[in-house]
Amino acid sequence: MTTSTKIDAMKIDATKIDTTKIDVTDIQGFVLKGYNFPLARYLLLELGHPEAAQKFIAQTVQYLTTGERWSAKPATTVNIAFTFNGLAKLELPAPTLDSFPVEFQQGMRARGEILYDTGKNAPEHWDPVWREDRVHVWLAVNAQNQAALDQRCDLLLQIATQTGGAKLLQAQDACATYVDGHPKEHFGYSDGFGNPDFKGADRKCTPGQGKLTENGTWEALATGEFLLGYADESGELPVAPIPHLLARNGTFMVYRKMHQNVAMFRTFLEEQGRLYPGGKEKLASKFVGRWRDGTPVEISPDQMDPDLVKDNNHNTDFTYGKDLSGLRCPIGAHIRRGNPRDSFGFNGDLVNRRRIMRRGLPYGKYAEENEAVQDQDEHGVIFIALNASIFRQFEFVQQQWIEYGNDLHQGNDKDLIIGNHGGKGKSVMQGTADPKNPPFICASLPNFVELRGGDYFFMPSLTALQMMASGTVDPR
Amino acid sequence: MANQSGQIYGLTILAPILGEDDHLDIGHATAVRWYLAGLPQDHTGPFAKISSTHFCRLVVMDDVVFVGSPAREEHLKSRYLVFESNFDGDLDTYLTRMAREIPDLVDAVWKHCVGYPGVADPAAFAAYMKKCQITTTFFFADVNNKTVDQTLKALQVQSDVSHFIAKNQGKPAVELQSAFRILLERMTKAPAPLRGGKDSEKTAAEDRPYDH
Repeated sequence: MTTSTKIDAMKIDATKIDTTKIDVTDIQGFVLKGYNFPLARYLLLELGHPEAAQKFIAQTVQYLTTGERWSAKPATTVNIAFTFNGLAKLELPAPTLDSFPVEFQQGMRARGEILYDTGKNAPEHWDPVWREDRVHVWLAVNAQNQAALDQRCDLLLQIATQTGGAKLLQAQDACATYVDGHPKEHFGYSDGFGNPDFKGADRKCTPGQGKLTENGTWEALATGEFLLGYADESGELPVAPIPHLLARNGTFMVYRKMHQNVAMFRTFLEEQGRLYPGGKEKLASKFVGRWRDGTPVEISPDQMDPDLVKDNNHNTDFTYGKDLSGLRCPIGAHIRRGNPRDSFGFNGDLVNRRRIMRRGLPYGKYAEENEAVQDQDEHGVIFIALNASIFRQFEFVQQQWIEYGNDLHQGNDKDLIIGNHGGKGKSVMQGTADPKNPPFICASLPNFVELRGGDYFFMPSLTALQMMASGTVDPR
Repeated sequence: MANQSGQIYGLTILAPILGEDDHLDIGHATAVRWYLAGLPQDHTGPFAKISSTHFCRLVVMDDVVFVGSPAREEHLKSRYLVFESNFDGDLDTYLTRMAREIPDLVDAVWKHCVGYPGVADPAAFAAYMKKCQITTTFFFADVNNKTVDQTLKALQVQSDVSHFIAKNQGKPAVELQSAFRILLERMTKAPAPLRGGKDSEKTAAEDRPYDH
C-alpha cells in the first residue's frame, strides 16, 4: 500500500460506507416493512414472575415475524416490544436497565411537559390502562382477515396463560379501509404515504422518501437512524443499552392512541369551507398538504389527481424549496410540519436526523361522509413511530414542529389537525392574489385530536429476545 | 456583513476565562457559572435595562468536542465566556450602554476574563470586547429586520389582524369595512405593547380582551 492510499483509507467517511447488508432474519419485520394488512390487534400485557415471563417470551419468539422476504404474504404477523417497566419486571441486570436512554426509562407519561401532552391531552384523560405502569408488553398481530386474527391472538394468549408469564390488560383493535393501497383515516384523508427509506431495508429508495442529495435525487438514510447498532447520519452509533448484542438490530417505538373528534372536524371544515373561496375540499387539502384522496398539494395545488395518487414513484416526490412562502402547500400544513424536507434550506440536511418511521393504523369503524357521527364515537388512530432515538427524532418533531411553529416562521401556531390548541389555536394558510387561492386564517381552533394514552417501547432483535428469554443478558 | 441582519446586530463575544488561581476557593469558570445561574431570566433580568436588546445569552464554554466522522481531536486553548446578543443599532452604542447602564453585571461577569479592563472607561471596555469578538454567522430563525419596538408592535398588529380576518373573512364588503374601521380605531388607541417576555406561554390573542 502506498502512502497516499493509506491516507485515503483513513479518510473513509463512515456515513458513506454501504451497510446494505443487514441481518433481516434477526430484525423484527415490523421495523423493516409496512405490512399493509387490514386488521391488527395490539395486546397490552402485564408480565408475571420473571421466570414465567422468560418462558412466555421463549415460546412466543417462534411465532415472531422477522424481516425475511416473503414469497407470499402470510395470514398474520406477530411482533413484540417492551416498556421500561416491562424490562424491569423481567429483572434485566441493573447496569443494563440504567444504560437505556433517559426518555425511554421515564416513559411517555413522564415526558408530558416536553411533548405538550397537557390540558385535554394530559394523563388524567387517558384510558385507565395507560394511567398505571402495568403495560409491560405490546404484542401485535396484524392479519389479513378476522378469523386469522382471532386464531393467532388466542394462541398467543394461551401461551401467556399456560406459562403464567403474562396477563392481558387490554386488547386494542385497529383496522383500515384501504383505498388504492392507502388506509383512510377518520377525517377522510388517505394516509400512509411514504416513510423514510434507510440503507439495508428490503426496497429501493423511492423519490421523496430518503434524504435529498445535492443533485436533487433521493438516497436512503443511514441505517442507524432506525436500527440500533449501525452508524447513523452523523456516522456514530446511536445511544443504546448494553450489552451491544441486546441493542443491535433493535429499535425504539412510540405508541400513541389518538382519539379523533370526527363530528367536530366535519362541522369545522363545512363552516370554514363555506368561507374559503377555493371551496371545502381545497381547504381540507391546505390543512394537511394532501387532498383528501392523497394528492400532494405541492405537486397539484388546484385539483385532485387520481393517477398521481396511484403512482407510488411520484406521490411522495416533491420538495418545498421553490415554495418557501407556502403559496402552494401552506408552511404549517400537517405533512410539511412532520417532514419539512428542504423548507429550512441547506438542501434538507436539517431534517435528516429528525425522521420517524410510521407504522400506525386507525381504530374504530370508518364512517362515510354521509353517515352521521358524534365526537364520542370510537374513532381514532393508533400512532406508531419507530426511531433509533425517541428524544432526537419523535420528541423533537412533536415538540418543535407539531406543537410549535418557530422553525417554520409560524410563531406559536401548532399543527391544525393534531395540535393541542385548547380552543385558542390559530393556523395560517398562505395564499396568492388568485381569487381561488387567497390567504386564509383559521382561529379559535379546538382539539380535533385528543390523546388517550400510550408509551415508549423497546423492540428487540430476535437475538436479544433469546437472551431475555434465557436470562443471559450480561452487561459485563 | 455577517454581524448584521438588516438593522439587527448579532454580537458574538468569546472572552477567555482566567486560569486556575491558588488564592481562590473556586475557579473562575465555576464562579462565573454560579453567578450567571443566579441571574433572573425574565423581564427583571439585567439586559432588560438595555432597551435595544432583543435577546441575549451568557454561557461558559469548557471545550469544543468534535462529533462526527471522520473523528478528530482538537481543543480550545482555554475556557471561554460566550456572550451573544441581538440588538438594535450599532455596536459602539450598545457596548457603551452596557458599560454605563449595567456596570455591576459587566464587572461581576467579565472580571473572571483575561485582560478585562473594567468599565470605568467605556471606550476601553468597547475596545476590549471588540478584541474578543468573532463573526456571527447564524441568527435565530425568527430574527427579521425589525427593531424591538417594531417587533412588539408588529406582533400586536399580526394578532389583531389575524383574529379580525378569522372573524370576518367572507363577510359582505360593507360589513367588512365597518368592522375594519372599528378595529383600526382600537388598534390606534391601543397602548404600546409591554416589553419583556411576560407570560410567554400565553398567546397574543389572550392579551386582546376586546377581540372576543
